[in-house]
Amino acid sequence: MIDRRLLLGVDWFLICAVLLLTAIGVAMILSATHDTRHSELYLKQLYAVGLGVLGMLAVLSVDYRRLADRAPVFYGASLLVLGYLLVLGARVAGTRRWLQLSGAQLQPSELVKIVAALLAAKVLADSRKESLGLLDVAGLGAALGLLALLIAAQPDLGTAFCLVPLFLCVAFLAGLRMRAVLALIAVLLLVGGLGWQYALKDYQKTRIYSFLDPRLDPRGAGYQKIQSQIAVGAGGLLGKGYMNGSQSQLGYLPARQTDFIFSVLAEELGFLGVAVVLGLYLLVLWRALETAQLARDRVGAFLAAGLTAVLAFQVVYNVAMVAGLVPVKGLPLPLMSYGGSSILSTFLAVGLILNVRMRRFVN
Amino acid sequence: MRIYEDLRVVQTRLAVVQYVILVLLALLAASFWHLQVLRHRYYRTLAENNRIRVVPIAAPRGPLLDRHGRPLVENRPSFNIVLAPEQSQDLDDTISRLARVLGIGQGALRERLARRGAPFHPVVVKADASIEDVAVLEARRFELPEASVQVVPVRSYPLAAAAAHALGRVGDVTERQLQSPEFADLKPGDLVGQAGIEAQYNRALMGQDGYRSVIVNSRGLEKDEAGRRPPRDGPSLMLTLDADLQRAVERAFRGRAGSAVALDPETGEVLAMTSIPAYDPNHFTMGIEAAAWNELARDPATPLMNRVIQGQYAPGSLFKIVMAIAALEEGIVTPERTFYCPGYLSIYDNVFRCNRADGHGMVSLRRALAESCNVYFYQVGVQLEIERIARWARTLGLGAPTGVDLPHEASGLVPSPAWKLRTQRLPWYAGETVSVAIGQGQLTATPLQMGCLAAMVASGGKLVRPRLVRALGGRPVAAEPPRDLGLKPGTLAAVRAGLFAVVNDHGSGWRARIDGVEVCGKTGSAQVVSHARLARGTPAAALQPHAWFIAYAPAERPRIALAVLVEHGGSGGEAAAPLAREILTRFLGDTLPRRAVVADAVGP
Repeated sequence: MIDRRLLLGVDWFLICAVLLLTAIGVAMILSATHDTRHSELYLKQLYAVGLGVLGMLAVLSVDYRRLADRAPVFYGASLLVLGYLLVLGARVAGTRRWLQLSGAQLQPSELVKIVAALLAAKVLADSRKESLGLLDVAGLGAALGLLALLIAAQPDLGTAFCLVPLFLCVAFLAGLRMRAVLALIAVLLLVGGLGWQYALKDYQKTRIYSFLDPRLDPRGAGYQKIQSQIAVGAGGLLGKGYMNGSQSQLGYLPARQTDFIFSVLAEELGFLGVAVVLGLYLLVLWRALETAQLARDRVGAFLAAGLTAVLAFQVVYNVAMVAGLVPVKGLPLPLMSYGGSSILSTFLAVGLILNVRMRRFVN
Repeated sequence: MRIYEDLRVVQTRLAVVQYVILVLLALLAASFWHLQVLRHRYYRTLAENNRIRVVPIAAPRGPLLDRHGRPLVENRPSFNIVLAPEQSQDLDDTISRLARVLGIGQGALRERLARRGAPFHPVVVKADASIEDVAVLEARRFELPEASVQVVPVRSYPLAAAAAHALGRVGDVTERQLQSPEFADLKPGDLVGQAGIEAQYNRALMGQDGYRSVIVNSRGLEKDEAGRRPPRDGPSLMLTLDADLQRAVERAFRGRAGSAVALDPETGEVLAMTSIPAYDPNHFTMGIEAAAWNELARDPATPLMNRVIQGQYAPGSLFKIVMAIAALEEGIVTPERTFYCPGYLSIYDNVFRCNRADGHGMVSLRRALAESCNVYFYQVGVQLEIERIARWARTLGLGAPTGVDLPHEASGLVPSPAWKLRTQRLPWYAGETVSVAIGQGQLTATPLQMGCLAAMVASGGKLVRPRLVRALGGRPVAAEPPRDLGLKPGTLAAVRAGLFAVVNDHGSGWRARIDGVEVCGKTGSAQVVSHARLARGTPAAALQPHAWFIAYAPAERPRIALAVLVEHGGSGGEAAAPLAREILTRFLGDTLPRRAVVADAVGP
C-alpha cells in the first residue's frame, strides 16, 4: 500500500521531465503522420501513455525488493514467452517479435529488458564480494546472453543489444575489476565478429555496409541515413517550423514516426529543439542515476542504474543514428518514438526508478 | 534493524557512469551543431533538390503544309496509359487488373516495367491507346489510382505512303546521334526527324520544350507546381509540294516500282516527288517494332530509299539532250547538219547498233532527237570526245548533287579519263565514249538531276536549284535564284524543237501527247544488261531496261518540268511516257481545252 510518507519521496522533477518528453513525442508523431493514412497514430500513442502511467503506478505500489526477489520467476516466464514466439509466433513483417493480444500487439522483448534489469540487480546484489572477477559474473552473463540470443533470433538485434550495456553497467557498479571489464569488451567484440560472419542476416550486413558508404545503395539501407542527415541539416538553427519539415512531410524520411522521430524534431524545431530535448533526456538520465546514488541498498542502486543504462543506450544510439554516426538499427527512441510496447516498458522502468527513490528511507 | 550497506564503491562508480552519459550526450549535441549550423546550407540545398523535379512539357513539332496550305504532316493527340509502380500497394494485383482492363497480356506489361528507365517516373504500359481504353481506365480510376492517362502529340501523315520519302519520318534519337554536337542538348527518348524534310529541317520543326517545376514526394507523386515555362511550338513549314499532284503521281504508277519528280522550271520548287515502293510513315510515329523495321530494311526492293535523289541510273537516251547542247555549243553540229544512219556504226573494231535496225537514213538534230537515233549521237560523241562531253555533262548538272534540301542526295557519275585512271587505274578506251554518247557506260544520274535538266531546257537555259520549302513559320524562305548557263539562243531553240517533235511529230514519245497542249519531252531506256543478253529468249522482268521520260509543258511558257522513271519498264516511250501524260493532264487540268484528250495512235 502506498504510505503517505512515500508520496514525499516521489521525484516530481523526473515525472515532469518524462511527461514533457512524452508530450513532445506525441506532437512530433502528429506532425509526422497528420498528412498520411495513419493520422490517428498520435491518439494510439496517447492511449499507450495512459496505459504506461497506469503500469507505472502499479509498479510504484509494490516494494521494488519484492519484485527483485521474484526476478528468477520473471526470467523463467521470459524464456517461455520468447521461446513460444520463436517457435509458434506469427510472422509479422518478416520477424517474430509480436504477440497478438486481443486487439493489440505486444512486443515482449521490450518487457524482457525490465526483467533482465531486475535479474541483474538481484544476482549481483546478492553477491557480497567487494570486487568481482569474470567468473563471478559469468552466470549472470550466460543468463542474459540466453535472453539476448532468443531476442536476436526473432530477429531483433537492436533490442538484444540493449542487454549489453545493462550487463556491463551493473557488473561495473558491482565491483567488476577493470581488467575484467576490458576482457569482457574483448569477448563481446569477438562474439560480434563471429556473429557477423555466420549469424547476421543479409539486410543487417547491408545496413552496416551502407552505413559506411551510403552511396553504395542510395535507395536502400543507406537511403535512410542520407535522408535523415538531409532532414536534420536542413532544419538549421531554428527549424522549419512545426509540421513544416519538407523532408518529413513529403515522405523522404522513412519510418519517421518510429525510429526517425528525432529527425522530424531536428528538421522542424532545429538545433534549438534538439538542444532542449537532449537536455531533457540528460535531466532524466542524470536524475535516475542520482536516484541510484540515493538508493539505500545495492539492489536498488543496481536496478536504477541498470534501467538507466538501457534507456541511455537507446537514447544515445537512436540520436547517433539520426545524425548518421552509427548504422541504422530498429531502436526506438524511448518516450518519443511511436510504439505501445516501448512506451509501456519505459514507463515501467521509470516507475521502478521512482520506486527506488521513493523507498530509500523505508525499512 | 536497519542494515546499511556499504555503497561507497558503488557511488563512486555511479558518478563515473553519470559523467560518461553526460559526455556522450554532449558529443551528440556537438554533432548536431555541426550538421544543423555549420553545414546547414549544404543540407538545405540537398533538401531542395530532393523535392523539386523539373518535368518537361513537350513542344509540338511544327506541321508541314503543302503549297496551298493543306496539311501534309501534322500532330495528333495520342493517349499513353502510364503506371507508377511505386504507388501501388500490391503490384501483382495492379498488374493483373490493369492487364485485364486494357486487354493486354500480363507478360507484356511486366516486360515493359522491367525495361523502364529512371525509377520514380511513370512507365508507359500502352502507347497510343484507343479512346475506349481511356474511357475504361477513367471509369476505374479509384480501383487503379496508380494508372493514369498521358496526352502526348504524335506525328500524323494524312497522305500515308504518298510523299513518304520527301516528307520523311521521325524516330527516337539514336545513341550515335546523341553523341554528335548537333544533338548535344537532346536526351534519350526525344523525337528527331530521321529522313526527308523531317530530318533536314529538324531543328526548326522541333520548337522548344517548356517545363514545369513540380514539388514531388518521395514516391514521385506530384503535390504542387512551383513554376512553369510554356513550350514554344515548332513553326509550320510550308512546302512547295502540291498534295493533289502528289497523289496523282502515286496513282499513275499503279504500284510499279520507280520514281518521279515535278518541278517549277522558273523557280526550282518541287511540285511533287514520288518514290515507289514506299512505306507508311504513320507506322514509325510510335516507335516501329523491330521486326517490322527489319523487314523494311532488308526488303530487296529497298522501300526506304528515296529513289528520286538516291537512285542512280544510266540516263540512256535522255543524255542525248546533253550531247546535243554540247555539240551545238562547241560548234560540232548545226541544226541543219545531217548524219547518215544505216542502223549501225562500225568503229573501233566494234559495231554499235542503232535502235532502229534498218536505220533512219539522213538525219538532222531534230529528227535524231525525235526518233532517238543512236548513230547520230555516236558520231557526235566521237567528234566531241570524252573530255568535252564530261565537261558539258557537269555543266548541265550531272555528276554532282543538285543541292536540294533533303539529306543523303546522291551525285550520280560522270566518267572521264581522269576518273577512270583514279578509280580503276586503267586508261580510257575510245569505244567507251560511244557508249557514253547515248547515255550508257559508267554514266549515272538521279531522276532529280534529269528533272533539273528538263527544267533547264524549259526555262531557256537556267539551271535551277530544286527545293522543297517555301516558307518557315509564315515567312518565305530565301531561295537561290536559277543560274543562267549562258547558252547560245540557237542551241536551246534547236533542242526545244527536237523535244517538241518527240511528242508531237511522230517521235518516240507520242504517247505523252495531249490534245490542246504542247508537251515537249524525251524518252530514254537505261540498259540493265546488254542487248545481246536481252535478245536471248524471253528475259526476266528484272533484266528489262529502266524506262525514262522527261517532259515540260506547255512549250510556250512552261509551268512544269517532269522526270519519270519506271524501273524495268522496258521502253521509255511505252512505259514512262503515258505516265507522264497522266501527270501532266492532272496538273494542267483546268487549263486544258474541253476537247477529248486522247492521243492519236500514230506509229513512232
